[in-house]
Amino acid sequence: MKTAPFKTKVLTANRLSDGISVWLGAHGEWVVSIKDAFLARHEDAVTAIETAGKQALADNRVVDVNVIDVEETSAGPRPFRLRERIRAEGPSIDYAPVATARVSQAA
Amino acid sequence: MYRYDEFDHGFVAQRVSQFRDQVARRLTGEISEDAFKPLRLMNGVYLQLHAYMLRVAIPYGTLNSRQMRKLAHIARTYDRGYGHFTTRQNIQYNWPALSDMPAILEELAEVEMHAIQTSGNCIRNVTADHFAGAAADEVADPRPYAEILRQWSSVHPEFSFLPRKFKIAVTASERDRAAIQVHDIGLQLKKDGEGGLGFAVWIAGGQGRTPILAKKIKDFLPEEDLLSYTTAIMRVYNLHGRRDNKYKARIKILVHETGVEQLTSEIDAEWAHLKDGELKLPAADIAAINAYFAPRELDARAEGWKELAAWKKSDPGFATWVGRNVAPHRHPDYGMVTISLKPIGGIPGDASADQMDAVAKLALEFGHDEIRVTHEQNLVLPHVALADLEPLYRALLAEGLATANAGLITDIIACPGLDYCALANARSIPVAQEISNRFGDPARQAEIGDLKIKISGCINACGHHHVGHIGILGVEKKGAELYQISLGGSGDENASIGQITGPGFEPDQVTDAIETIVETYLSQRTDADETFIACYRRIGADPFKAALYGSESQAA
Amino acid sequence: MTVIWTKDGIVESDPWIEGDAEQGPKLLSLADALAHAQDNAPFGVVLQPADDVTALAPILDRVAIVALSFPAFNDGRGFSQAALLRQRLGYTGELRAVGAVLLDQVPLMLRTGFDSFEVSHAPTIARLTENRLPGIDLHYQPSADSTDAGQGYSWRRTARANG
Ligand code: HEM
Ligand code: SF4
Repeated sequence: MKTAPFKTKVLTANRLSDGISVWLGAHGEWVVSIKDAFLARHEDAVTAIETAGKQALADNRVVDVNVIDVEETSAGPRPFRLRERIRAEGPSIDYAPVATARVSQAA
Repeated sequence: MYRYDEFDHGFVAQRVSQFRDQVARRLTGEISEDAFKPLRLMNGVYLQLHAYMLRVAIPYGTLNSRQMRKLAHIARTYDRGYGHFTTRQNIQYNWPALSDMPAILEELAEVEMHAIQTSGNCIRNVTADHFAGAAADEVADPRPYAEILRQWSSVHPEFSFLPRKFKIAVTASERDRAAIQVHDIGLQLKKDGEGGLGFAVWIAGGQGRTPILAKKIKDFLPEEDLLSYTTAIMRVYNLHGRRDNKYKARIKILVHETGVEQLTSEIDAEWAHLKDGELKLPAADIAAINAYFAPRELDARAEGWKELAAWKKSDPGFATWVGRNVAPHRHPDYGMVTISLKPIGGIPGDASADQMDAVAKLALEFGHDEIRVTHEQNLVLPHVALADLEPLYRALLAEGLATANAGLITDIIACPGLDYCALANARSIPVAQEISNRFGDPARQAEIGDLKIKISGCINACGHHHVGHIGILGVEKKGAELYQISLGGSGDENASIGQITGPGFEPDQVTDAIETIVETYLSQRTDADETFIACYRRIGADPFKAALYGSESQAA
Repeated sequence: MTVIWTKDGIVESDPWIEGDAEQGPKLLSLADALAHAQDNAPFGVVLQPADDVTALAPILDRVAIVALSFPAFNDGRGFSQAALLRQRLGYTGELRAVGAVLLDQVPLMLRTGFDSFEVSHAPTIARLTENRLPGIDLHYQPSADSTDAGQGYSWRRTARANG
């Protein structure tokens, strides 16, 4: 059986207190930008971030902990799944009220 | 509308402190996420992709201006300045912190609101016709019964851990504006031969993975039996509904697998024990709740007729808006005004805090302090004098709230989809925006006429795609978004479930596909009076499939 | 640690507690209870969520305790079973919740007619021992517990202090 080539991984979760998406940083801290996430480039590193994730869950610091695949780009890690890209970048729509052009259709 | 008495205030205050205690236990780690999840869900707190989400109940979609101002205040203080009105007449906030939830709930309690049972496997917020109390065609106001059900179902000790969620809707007209046939229980208020009030009872409708239309199991349930009969249904469901598979746990599956006759006889057998017990509703209690919803005293404002005609003549934009967004009221000098939350290219159902404040102010000024939320994600001012329509329109225009598209192709229902929702497979909002932009031209929309497009980002069907004239369902295929289109659904008194046209469409093909469907309709309709759904029912799916996929699909 | 809690506090050396069955009387399954109902020894019965509680009707006066099992906290059939036992069958003996019993469910269980609880989650035991129940004492519906008619409408009830 052919094994799939290894893909770089990062650990993501949502912070317990406010639910904001976070990623595990290089020093075991949780960061709010995927750009600062620790990149697990081999199996041992993946095991390490998985362990860190389990511990953070058990310590009630984060919820919904997941290891995800990313592509390393010059702009930083880019998740393969659209779902994770949207988690990293925020909603793909212009939701903030000031920015939303609310042109009403009068005529 | 209903006003809390001391009992209700006491109850909600205790519910808030109960939740405060639950949140505190979670934040200190005394309880795990697994144990906390059902507790937070029972108070409307979800975890989405970017943050927590709080769903606030708007019972039967009725609000006053003070409540709307509070919703605006919460959006501003605890969220990012906006909220999302949903197809279940609720409002969702997308960014509140868990640690702020108790404070938010306390603020809501000040204006007689809460988030009780807006999620979880319990009896959810009871919905009703958004034109209740104003529509000319209703037998009586359905909301008093929705209120009785709301009270009775609140923290029900026996029915808080049902196999799955349970949704009840009430309407009081032949024209069903509450989609009762896609609810677990749908109640249609009606009169018997002697003028007594009661309900036609429908059960086991639902959308989600397996859309099923409800079955009528009682033609006339006297009003005093409302709670005993509902209890019988709930008990049979609680004991016998499937719990081995959450996709098969709704009452629709129980009825489907057991058979409607069999289940009805089990419900009736249970009801026989309950009928004359403590749940029988005394006439005095029904009357007391009804008194809160007594029809508004509306002054004669006959001057509006003449003024309206003149204004319409001088301002075609106003005339279009009146034609689309104002419906006849039971009082001839008044109208029911739909405030569209579907600006062209906007996010369906979203309103900014400023817009909420504006609507609150206008409701006070022109609308007898009443606001409704519709299951089509719009707002309604149900009692506006024709004589006040022009100033109301000007004010709405200034807030970006005068889009004249109620019921048209750009009045799209869309769930939050993959932009927010943790369960989503695909985005819904950008699809809605693109369709809205493509068809935004007023003349084109008017030519197309009544057409309901409904979009869900996954099979859970929060965006009602099964009952859209055109339904769009987002799925994930090989890691990319793909959209299935269905045709011929309808959520009204002639309810039907839409049929999938064929293979799905990639994101950038969806709007073209919609255009193809619309063009096919325009070329096939007998005349401009034949609506899309009427035309579809006459000609069937084949002409649309041929247009979408080429003629080879017809052979298949 | 597993303990039995009632409104009077932790029960010392409860004869029916699971695991101590060796010496004392035992909780029988529904089928065994129906088969052994003629025996003289006192017996208790433990029902599973799918069991039909009304089958107990003919032997209920000989049963010392009914335990309703909650294999998972979200399996709420026991709430209806309890309501039926109390309100339909008129059962007045001990009614125990066993299995996955969450602190926040205890107030609801008390209302549907349970009066004893087998619990093993330490923080839950602590809260129960301190009698700090996370309940609401205003109710919008009649149920099996003893309550006073609530203010206003016929469906309302208020909890009785120590009731
Ligand atoms: C964003 C978080 C949301 C989540 C996690 C969620 C979850 C779900 C799930 C799991 C179902 C399927 C239930 C079943 O079939 O048993 C469902 C159905 C439904 N939801 Fe949502 N939903 C969300 C948002 C919404 C919104 C925003 C609306 C209103 C616009 C909504 C209204 C409904 C409706 C009307 C249904 C279909 C009715 C039915 O179940 O028969 N939900 N939802
Ligand atoms: S339909 Fe799916 S994607 Fe849309 S809100 Fe519901 S659960 Fe989320």
